[in-house]
Amino acid sequence: MTFTMNTPATVTETPATTHSSRSWDRHDGGSDIAVGLAAWHVWAALGWHDIRQRYRRSVLGPFWFTLSTLIMVGVLGVLYSTLLGQEITDYLPYLGVGLVVWQYLSACVNEGSTSFIGAGYLIKQIRMPLTVHVSRIVWRNFVILLHSLPVIVVLLIAFGRYPGPEFLLVFPALLLLLLNGVWIGLVLGIICTRYRDVLPIVTNVLQIAFFFTPIMWTTDLLKDRAWVAELNPLHHMIEIVRAPVIGHPIHLQSWIWSASVVVVGFLAAQYLMRRCRNRVPYWL
Amino acid sequence: MNAHISARDLSVEFPIYDNSHRSLKKKVLNLTTGGRIGSDTAKHPIVKALDDLNFEFGHGERIGLVGHNGSGKTTLLRVLSGVYAPVRGQLSVRGKIASLLDVSMGLDPDATGFENIYLRGIMDGIRPSLIRSKIDEIADFTGLGEYLNLPVRTYSSGMMLRLAFAISTSVEADILIMDEWLSVGDAEFSAKAAARLDTLIGNAAILVIASHDPALIERICTRKIHLKHGRMLSDEPVVAPTGNSA
Repeated sequence: MTFTMNTPATVTETPATTHSSRSWDRHDGGSDIAVGLAAWHVWAALGWHDIRQRYRRSVLGPFWFTLSTLIMVGVLGVLYSTLLGQEITDYLPYLGVGLVVWQYLSACVNEGSTSFIGAGYLIKQIRMPLTVHVSRIVWRNFVILLHSLPVIVVLLIAFGRYPGPEFLLVFPALLLLLLNGVWIGLVLGIICTRYRDVLPIVTNVLQIAFFFTPIMWTTDLLKDRAWVAELNPLHHMIEIVRAPVIGHPIHLQSWIWSASVVVVGFLAAQYLMRRCRNRVPYWL
Repeated sequence: MNAHISARDLSVEFPIYDNSHRSLKKKVLNLTTGGRIGSDTAKHPIVKALDDLNFEFGHGERIGLVGHNGSGKTTLLRVLSGVYAPVRGQLSVRGKIASLLDVSMGLDPDATGFENIYLRGIMDGIRPSLIRSKIDEIADFTGLGEYLNLPVRTYSSGMMLRLAFAISTSVEADILIMDEWLSVGDAEFSAKAAARLDTLIGNAAILVIASHDPALIERICTRKIHLKHGRMLSDEPVVAPTGNSA
């Protein structure tokens, strides 16, 4: 049970230090992400608690997410399938999956950016891996996603389109989404805590990204400008969930994109954590 | 294993980022204007909270921190509990730490008493299986009975303090860090609380407490450190320490 907190220039760690630097309050910048993610019982409980808090005195509780999805996808689906001249049984599920996954991703970006600022009080009172504060937010939004996504599956079945065996790909796709949420929150959380101007920039970029990502419209409308979607990682993150659910052909490209983004994102997050873990409390 | 804390040239500085400093604009301007503004953008005003502290706390010591407001007592306690990492110098801590800096930390007014006990427990890094066994003990100590099933916002402030106190003092630690003595509740509970606190302190190998109360320091501490402007003014044994050495 020994730990040493050094300035980066004078890191002298004994084996005993390395071992215990991986425990709950003895982590350092390098092990923050690993320790934080491993403490799933903490962020899962805190995330659930947030959802229960939000709907503590309501009858429907978290199923409000389900109902909101149904209403929004229903209205927008009918409206835009008419405007764009698309078959509603095709368009509505397409829009539905796209929207709920987008809601999850944009919540990870927006709430992730303020994760440390929001948890500032806790960070200044008790030492725990910073990753826990981000994972809590990501998990909360993932639970919301899990309350919304089944609506679309039910709609599909109501339209008489039963999911095939490729539907099982949804599960690894959701896992990738979960991981993508965590690194997004970590990277943006650290940057936005230090530079308070980044937050409005992120919000604005995200709003524009919504219109550049094939959610309301489909990629075949792009014709020879397909690169707009192909170079958009958000499109691929959505596509790996959307394709198996609505029975579209699975593109290996989207999986490669999503998995690569997870790897690159976590490398960036790890780099920032190593450098800035100890500075974040000072920036709050 | 003996609990131990040692600090060498420990310094803590808080950078002050006001609006004009903490922004990308300055950084970007910096790029375009070739460093003309640069020299003053990089230099944020700083507050030196702790300045080159050197100390060793050994097994069995009870350290009292004294000093004026803003002398760095609480900052030192937070550094010891791992919230702030030293900006310069080294700190090495051996032993499990528990800090009673803000007892009502993280109490959620809309959650029930039981939920609060659980949430606080996992945030302290206690395994869920262990918390379940502790819940009964904590609930029993608060004496709040059925109230623990109600949201905390329905409690009186005294009841809320009872709960917070019971949760915070349910820890087992080698090193105990306290900001002022805790006294809570009515006469009956207050006596119970004092006994619990005494046991907690008795079981800890090292106690570091910041206080403005000289009598308290004299009663429980074996060593007194006087801080002023983040520097150590004096470090001396407390005369006639009472029988509190563990």
